[in-house]
Amino acid sequence: MNASCSDLEAALAGADPVLAAAFHRHAEACAACREEVALWDSISAAAPSLRERWPSPGLEARIREALAGEKPARRWAWPAFASLAAAAAFVLGLLALLPRGQAPGPETASFSPAGLEAERLISEQALADVERAQEAYVQAIDALAKVAAPRLADEGSAVFAAYREKLLVLDSAIEECRAQADQNRFNAHLRLELLSIYQEKQRTLESLLREDPHAS
Amino acid sequence: MNTTREDRLSAFEELYAAHGERLKSIAFNLLRSRVDAEDAVQEAFLKAFRSWEGFKGEAGAFTWLYRILVNACLDEGRRRSRRREEPEPEDPMPREAPRENDHPLRLALDKALGQIHHRPRAVFVLAEVEGFTHREIAEMLGIPEGTSKHDLFEAKNALRRLLRPVAETRA
Repeated sequence: MNASCSDLEAALAGADPVLAAAFHRHAEACAACREEVALWDSISAAAPSLRERWPSPGLEARIREALAGEKPARRWAWPAFASLAAAAAFVLGLLALLPRGQAPGPETASFSPAGLEAERLISEQALADVERAQEAYVQAIDALAKVAAPRLADEGSAVFAAYREKLLVLDSAIEECRAQADQNRFNAHLRLELLSIYQEKQRTLESLLREDPHAS
Repeated sequence: MNTTREDRLSAFEELYAAHGERLKSIAFNLLRSRVDAEDAVQEAFLKAFRSWEGFKGEAGAFTWLYRILVNACLDEGRRRSRRREEPEPEDPMPREAPRENDHPLRLALDKALGQIHHRPRAVFVLAEVEGFTHREIAEMLGIPEGTSKHDLFEAKNALRRLLRPVAETRA
């Protein structure tokens, strides 16, 4: 196998050892690619120098004091949480059926042209299943959000204000990610990312519902 | 297993002693401010304390604490992105002057890191700066290991592009 300058990013991704070896041979004779590889390696070499250590004499005492003033969390055993977790697991399971071929980056699989049409038909079915399961999961989270809504409306609580803020950020991230996923429906990577944001929203709502309603 | 309040406080003191410095470093590299980093670490400990019952038995204590911290930093980063007009915070505790044994790329890399997307930046900081494995990062961020590897590639690739002019100048 021969590699050329255009294989730089695929070789750096390291997903294909044969390509990486071929590119290494190419770089021995190509100064530009050799420099790119050297730069790539130097980033990893320099990274540990970014570890930042500085003395914070009052921080530990500040944290201890804050913890000492905290009220212990209440335990909740809410069956709805379990069903939401199961729904998320179901969506994840279905996502595994989707091909990774259109996900960007090092996980990109190579497609066999002969099997493309058959794979497309299977993928359409898998995608429809994923979209249905995802919609059910989203509806379950929306229902949870409705339960949490009265608490979020508490304007006087700093704790609930922080939750409102976080949920706004998550909803914005969901909106962005959904728009991208809608443009590239087969991209399993985007769907996983979307699911992880929904899961964070679910955790946030659960956490909100565990809060003491009289917290300030 | 029931734990008393004192047990919990003692457990958190141990966590701070073992991981406080690393948590601060991660928060600093994600928030670009020592003051914000210290606030984020304090907030992470408070959140962890509040949800102690939920965490027990779910994951290693330190992984769970890092997850809370990184999520808080990512949220703050997204919040800043939404208010694009907001300038980078001016840190009243600026980082120390370059050290003699600094890697020659350190300053350029530090600056470039502030320009890449939040989650790839977080994965880069956890993997390359702090040395966590992809398995640990996946657990911390609640993402698949493959996504962690992909994000690290995205981060390094973005950094390579940003640092190319610096490398050319040095050549």
